[in-house]
Amino acid sequence: MTILLVTLLTCGLYVLTKKLAKRYPILLFHPLIFTPALIIITISLMGISPQTFDQGAVVLTHMLGPATIAFAIPVYKHVEVLRKYVVLILLGVISGSVVAILSTFLLGLLFGLDYHLLISLLPRSITTPLAMEVSEEIGGIPALTIVFVIITGILGALIGPMVFKVLKIKSPMAKGLALGMGAHAVGTNRTLEYGEEATTFSTLAMIFAGIITILLGLSVLPLLVNLL
Amino acid sequence: MRRIGIISVQVAIIHIFLFLAIGLKALLPLPLPTSIVGLLLLFFALFFNLIKLEWVEQGGRWLMAELLLFFIPSAVGIVNYDELAGVQGLVIVLVIAISTIIVVGITGLIVDRFEVKQQ
Repeated sequence: MTILLVTLLTCGLYVLTKKLAKRYPILLFHPLIFTPALIIITISLMGISPQTFDQGAVVLTHMLGPATIAFAIPVYKHVEVLRKYVVLILLGVISGSVVAILSTFLLGLLFGLDYHLLISLLPRSITTPLAMEVSEEIGGIPALTIVFVIITGILGALIGPMVFKVLKIKSPMAKGLALGMGAHAVGTNRTLEYGEEATTFSTLAMIFAGIITILLGLSVLPLLVNLL
Repeated sequence: MRRIGIISVQVAIIHIFLFLAIGLKALLPLPLPTSIVGLLLLFFALFFNLIKLEWVEQGGRWLMAELLLFFIPSAVGIVNYDELAGVQGLVIVLVIAISTIIVVGITGLIVDRFEVKQQ
């Protein structure tokens, strides 16, 4: 019963938000800002606790798994591109992953973030299911990591295009790779406006960034954490 | 209506790969998350023509297009963390913003410059 209610409520408000965003394309109407805000207001008015909501959301959250698996389809469709540019993709993604983790770590230290927040923040630039796993591995709080992953996605998809303008990055390949690296699936979603080539590279970058960060999560990250 | 039917069936087919991945992970100690194992399984199934692209393409496109919907419950989870309210929360947003600018900028520049060189 709760599952049905939560699913219908979330889908309804999501569709409403998408309609609003189409008419008024402003940041406030982003589906990951406006819809959660509406839900928080609605459930508190209806007297539903966040925990109950969370229990009812299993079906929706579960769909993240199949949705991640579905990214095999664009990779398959562009397997020739992958073959041709594998070195460049790996170069971009390995540098990106290292920069993502190191810059987060150093900035977090600089701003004096609490230990648990900092640890949970480290895997923030990769897609949710993978970030949760890395977070758990290095002693973070996976639920907090999810929130940081989402903030990263929204900010990356928003700031990315501005960064491209300032640095005069024009190639769809570079834009796609950078957005997939820096803002995972939400960034990849944004590349739809740059054409299929950009989306392909973004998807590939997202997948490889996830895998590389997991490998770093098992090797280098525990060393960084030990420094604290 | 027909489209909804096709998408439902194809999402179910994609679920088969999720279950295969869960099974495989239970058998072998793979260091990869279930969703990535499933992604690799689906990729190889397509690559070796074990399944046809048309069997999963529309369902897959729908899943990817509505991806943000599946993130919403996690975003609602933010209310469970008091530490994120106030200054600490703002600092985190700032850290993420600065770091993301650096990551997107450096990755974009590297790829952009190397691409020019290759051509």
